[in-house]
Amino acid sequence: MSDSDADRTIRPETSGLNSEDPEEPESDVTESTGETVTLRIFRYDPEVESKQDAGFDTFRIPTHEGMTILDALIEARDEQDPSLTFRHSCRQGVCGSDALFINGSQRLGCKTQVSELKEPIQIEPLPHHPVVKDLVVDMDSFYERMRAVEPYFDPDDPPPDELTERYQSRENREDVKLSTRCIWCGACTSSCTIASNEDVYLGPAAINKGYRFYADEREGEDRAEERLEILQEHDGVWRCQTQFSCTNVCPQDIPLTEHIQQIKRDATKADLRFW
Amino acid sequence: MTDRRSRFESGSIAWFLQRVTAVVLLFTLGFHFLWLHFVNHAAEVTLWGSALRMDRFVYFIMIVVFLVTAAYHGLNGIYNALLNHGLSGRRRTVVFWLLTIAGTVLVIQGIRIAVAMAGVIS
Amino acid sequence: MGAPYDRGLIEDFGRFRYFSAGMWAWVLHKVTGWVLIGYLFAHIAVLSTAIPAASDPEAIAAGTDLYTRTIQGLEGIFLVRVLEVGLLAAAVFHMTNGIRLLLVDLGIGLEREAEGFYVSVAVTAVITVLSIPVFLPPEVVPW
Repeated sequence: MSDSDADRTIRPETSGLNSEDPEEPESDVTESTGETVTLRIFRYDPEVESKQDAGFDTFRIPTHEGMTILDALIEARDEQDPSLTFRHSCRQGVCGSDALFINGSQRLGCKTQVSELKEPIQIEPLPHHPVVKDLVVDMDSFYERMRAVEPYFDPDDPPPDELTERYQSRENREDVKLSTRCIWCGACTSSCTIASNEDVYLGPAAINKGYRFYADEREGEDRAEERLEILQEHDGVWRCQTQFSCTNVCPQDIPLTEHIQQIKRDATKADLRFW
Repeated sequence: MTDRRSRFESGSIAWFLQRVTAVVLLFTLGFHFLWLHFVNHAAEVTLWGSALRMDRFVYFIMIVVFLVTAAYHGLNGIYNALLNHGLSGRRRTVVFWLLTIAGTVLVIQGIRIAVAMAGVIS
Repeated sequence: MGAPYDRGLIEDFGRFRYFSAGMWAWVLHKVTGWVLIGYLFAHIAVLSTAIPAASDPEAIAAGTDLYTRTIQGLEGIFLVRVLEVGLLAAAVFHMTNGIRLLLVDLGIGLEREAEGFYVSVAVTAVITVLSIPVFLPPEVVPW
């Protein structure tokens, strides 16, 4: 593409999509209210000369009741600029693909209502990751840290026979319940100042994942001890500064800080125990 | 991501001590401010007045506890702040020892002052 | 594919308008911590004048020893008095927010940490204002 800067502000009139006549019934249940929302979207494309200098494009998108940021982005891409790039899959807050930096905070595009935000809504890629193109970031360092905590069920003893189910007590299920909600979207780790340096800190998502198995009694005491070790290596829980950013941004409402603090307390008790 | 640590390199002890010293400092720093600014005014400090305070054994002990906990809490705080910014490897070792030496000098000098003050009254 | 784009430090420091209570608490705790440890070193340096002064009992009795002169000289400087108010504010915030952090470490009231920060700021403000007459010389305090 070789748009000039002026061309990069695209207005809905040119798209000719929405009828301005409110009388005319539409088949779509999410009916347009005839209002528009202004989005400022971060653009960067190393393969297109005019977009090698990162900047913002302004889009005006016709809104409807219940419109999410992801809906607006899809509208912008499908009707106005097909080169606009972002990740999304399930569109319902389960896959964790569309964590974005929206008006200064990490949010899932599909769980954020356009009507809740102050305009112009500024949409940027997830901070603390290299930008690949537009809103797409390279999340390798995030996944690597998730893998570092060995995020799989790994019991001390195999079940007595292969077909035995491993039951978990109701109480223990409650302990791990919230931690299992994680969808690996990376919002928390992106929000953490310390985790911005991958060599310094595992980050909240990885620690929460470690906590999920550490707190699971079915794994056994030996494995729990190993998990505590993994979680407090020099880049582990001790780097948490209780900024609460992770807990504030988590789209799944996981009490991340609480889980990290629990690991700190348990590790301290284990290390101070001399009997 | 790194090899296993020993119990004594553990972050847990440092983390715990930072909290313990915090609790001690809540009392000692609070007392220090009340006593030396609100009860006795800083502008009216004389060596004789300081010596009279330091001559009391309980006060002497408290001031030394204050000094030691403040030095640990403050320098460990600096160390943590630097670790959070990515200090690692050889530079981390150098900074650790520099801070340890600075803390030791601070505590020794502080105790020398306290002893000198207490020695005025004899 | 071309090089990925690194947006650098703007992501941390260009965003202060959007900081939450927990972030502000962290920033202020750190700043006040640096102030306090810096002051501790300066304080010990000034008090070190007691060591040479202690060997001159006549000067001590007359109140003209090095230690007394140094401290009263410093206290005579208006800027020093103002900085002392700032020091008190730093100490009080570090202590009240420190209590908040201790509670967080004990797992108490994590869902109300933001209110804890606002309380820390309010307590600091009140104590600082109330202490101004104590720190500043009487002739400059209008009440």
